[in-house]
Amino acid sequence: MTSLTLFRPGKSGLHRLHPLTKLSISGFCLIASITLPDPWMVAGLYFFLMVPLAAWGGMARRFLIACVQFIGPFMLSLFPIQGFFGRGTTILFEIGRFSLKQEGLLLAADYTVRILAGLGAAMLLMFVTRPDHLMQALSERGFPRSLGYIVVTTLQILPRFQEKTQMILNAQRARGLETEGHLLHRARRLLPLVGPLIMGSIIDIDERAIALEARLFNHPGPKTSLHPLVDSRAQRITRSTLSGLIVLLVLWRLLGWLSP
Amino acid sequence: MIRLAGVTYRYPRTEHPALQDIDLQVSAGEFVGLIGANGSGKSSLCLALSGFIPHFYKGRLEGEIEVAGHPVRETPLGTMAGAVGLVFQNPFNQISGARFTVREEVAFGLENMGVPPPEMASRVDTALAQTGLRDQAGHSPYALSGGQQQRLAIASVVVLRPRLFVLDEPTSQLDPVGTREVYAALRALVSEGGHTVVCATHKLEWLASFADRIVLLREGKMIADDHPRRVLTRPDLRSLGIAPTRYTAAALEAQRQGFRENRGGELPVTLDQAAAFFDGNQD
Repeated sequence: MTSLTLFRPGKSGLHRLHPLTKLSISGFCLIASITLPDPWMVAGLYFFLMVPLAAWGGMARRFLIACVQFIGPFMLSLFPIQGFFGRGTTILFEIGRFSLKQEGLLLAADYTVRILAGLGAAMLLMFVTRPDHLMQALSERGFPRSLGYIVVTTLQILPRFQEKTQMILNAQRARGLETEGHLLHRARRLLPLVGPLIMGSIIDIDERAIALEARLFNHPGPKTSLHPLVDSRAQRITRSTLSGLIVLLVLWRLLGWLSP
Repeated sequence: MIRLAGVTYRYPRTEHPALQDIDLQVSAGEFVGLIGANGSGKSSLCLALSGFIPHFYKGRLEGEIEVAGHPVRETPLGTMAGAVGLVFQNPFNQISGARFTVREEVAFGLENMGVPPPEMASRVDTALAQTGLRDQAGHSPYALSGGQQQRLAIASVVVLRPRLFVLDEPTSQLDPVGTREVYAALRALVSEGGHTVVCATHKLEWLASFADRIVLLREGKMIADDHPRRVLTRPDLRSLGIAPTRYTAAALEAQRQGFRENRGGELPVTLDQAAAFFDGNQD
């Protein structure tokens, strides 16, 4: 594994969109999945906007599989819990003291479709957007560059950290440390791992800081990019429209909640 | 290119100086090796040459350090980074982690400098060619071997076009193949690019072949600054915690066992010199 990112390279029109346009689309879908009153509307948003968008990005199959893989286990717990223990009066059938209620199942279906759409919105963004390009676009709009750096490097460095942990674990095993067995026993035995891991990481942080300074990370003045992000008037209009829609959806929903 | 006069440095909260009364001058286009036992001050000297001492590691610095025309104490780190390329031993820690391909990783420093993209692309391609990484340009930096990663670290510094390269044990974590790759890249920088190189290492055979001069440090003090052969054949080398090159060791052993007569000539420090020594054609 070289990175935790879900991004897969591609040359589709969706891939080529400015990262902020993709973020706006994703943000709109996410907010709509929460605020639209009818779950059928949310389902429509998923199947008639997100799935076609994924197809445009050449990854409809991957998108659908990833959504099902995530939502499947969730449904397995959500439907029985809401069906048997949720509120409702329309009893479909009873098993002993427990009764399956139609209202509970409908609520579970509502939650499921909203989670599916929200998740789809996030996946859509992650599948077709390189994290560094998104951070670059955000930092060009004033997002702190160092925070963007932390987000992107975490995605790349976490697998290395896991490899390092495994290396220390193997080294300790080779010296006779028992790392298997009862949980408490294992936890006590794993304590010797913590020291080398933390000390090694502190030294690494020092070296990383020097390496970043040596490559002018804190150099004042404007930054450039090897791959400048391409934007267009049409995309800027799209982003403004979507941002406006997001605000309207939120206001509409808030007014709906606040009105008697 | 480099001028150190009476340099003494103590890290914060330490009494013993890491560098003591160092006087050193290095001209442009020279390849200078730094050797010494662990704790002798090699890394501290490298950090002082690149400005991280005293700007990053605070502590107390006495004396004068001037590098590429910049008085180090008064020059901000950003300016120093443009003049001095620093490469250290762990290639993994020198990868920014913020870029997804080797080509983008090399461009990272130029992006920070605000170099226009067309110029950036050309400089990146040149740096990749100089370090032999053109074929790996589209790979993930983390998918490279140790030697390739270290060459990537060098390329990332080369692209900034510093006049001086300071390398702190750049091959200590590399196998012989990786070491060869890195030294070949360094040799190309010196011979083709006319750069100045200061390289701290324990791998004396490589310095014997490449360095114009070797500076020997002990407990923060500079105790020799001379031609590689003269420094690496010093009789007190072992007592300073430094093992002589395998060629010197073989020659000494041959003399001890009587295979070769000690005729007072210099001991070998490179393969060619060893061949001449054992052929009886030594200078």
